[in-house]
Amino acid sequence: MLIKIDGKTYKGHPGETLMEVARRNGINIPSLCYKKGFEGLGRCRLCLVEVSEGKRSKIVSACVYPIKEGIEVTTITDEIIKMRKDIILLLLLRAPDNEYIQQLVKEYEVKAPERYIQNDNDDCILCGLCVKACEKLGTKAISLVNRGITKKVSTPYDDPSKDCIGCGACAETCPTNAIKLEESNGIRTIWNRDFDLVKCSICGKYYTTLDALKFIEDKLASNEEHICDTCKKKSTASKFKESFQHIY
Amino acid sequence: MNLELIHKYPREKRFTLSILQDIQREYNYIPREYMEYIAEYLNQPLSDVYSIATFYKALSLKPKGKYTIKVCNGTACHIRGSESIREELLKVLNLEPGETTEDGLFSVEVVNCIGACALAPVILINDKYYGGMTKEKVKDLINSYREVAINA
Ligand code: SF4
Ligand code: FES
Repeated sequence: MLIKIDGKTYKGHPGETLMEVARRNGINIPSLCYKKGFEGLGRCRLCLVEVSEGKRSKIVSACVYPIKEGIEVTTITDEIIKMRKDIILLLLLRAPDNEYIQQLVKEYEVKAPERYIQNDNDDCILCGLCVKACEKLGTKAISLVNRGITKKVSTPYDDPSKDCIGCGACAETCPTNAIKLEESNGIRTIWNRDFDLVKCSICGKYYTTLDALKFIEDKLASNEEHICDTCKKKSTASKFKESFQHIY
Repeated sequence: MNLELIHKYPREKRFTLSILQDIQREYNYIPREYMEYIAEYLNQPLSDVYSIATFYKALSLKPKGKYTIKVCNGTACHIRGSESIREELLKVLNLEPGETTEDGLFSVEVVNCIGACALAPVILINDKYYGGMTKEKVKDLINSYREVAINA
């Protein structure tokens, strides 16, 4: 399937979203709630682009728009910039002190009119990426709760969750770094619960929680070696090197 | 726990809301142990059931009174003074908004238009409409409900 983005032709597969094609080809479309490997959520609406089919054109969210043969996409127009500014203004009013939102504010030269400024301050923009990450990589211990102005992400009853394994996938995917994860003395604290950390058997650094490790072992029905990602990569690389040595 | 309420449904995710509604009807709220049991029974994460239970206004995590009083604050009722009726209700019942009286009889909610604008200002006590409300009528109305409850 062939589509045009900003005048150039690119190949895409049926079922792919515009965002996926763009990212694969190094085309920058701003986003907060998109994460590679997850289906688009369409919550932050920063990824607006213009799609033309024949004579008709419309503005869509790239992360949830499935490509069609022959469409022509423009990633930046005056109208898109204007809409994006409005969206960034709303994000700014919600999370005025957040450094990621501040970066956008600077880039798009957004200024909040005095009369809109409120004092409640939250880093979370309710994009739901953390909930998705917990569903995919963890145990679905958190969800979006309440509605309207009291909506938030939390564990049930705001209590330490029995389901949570402390893997930290939520904190890692959060585009605004809104989730508190603290580590000290071999204990990780997240969502009001303490978890014992496990050390990597090679480099000796803490790298995951005991519960997360157990969870993975149960899933794979095997005992994993206790090795952190960095050391795993290193050891794979050196094994590679070894085997190639004998070939050449 | 009265598990009959739950077991009459097949163990499928799509019945989550129906079960929650039944529990709400029976107890006037969703007790925590029921929430946890529903998750177990339907094999759903507790966080999902909790998310649904906190989303719908018809469901509540705190006990609601035997009589839920809904004060309509749609445009017509608002203009005809629903605010003063709400204030009078809270005063007569000695209540904070969103709370339930100590005897478990009454709670007060504000809702947006219940579709009875011709009767404005209107309040709803459980399923019964009271149109043309005035501040003065509030006390007698509450007392009549109290009497019924005491004699029941
Ligand atoms: S905590 Fe972060 S990832 Fe989760 S909804 Fe809020 S902004 Fe999104
Ligand atoms: S990246 Fe598309 S809506 Fe957030």
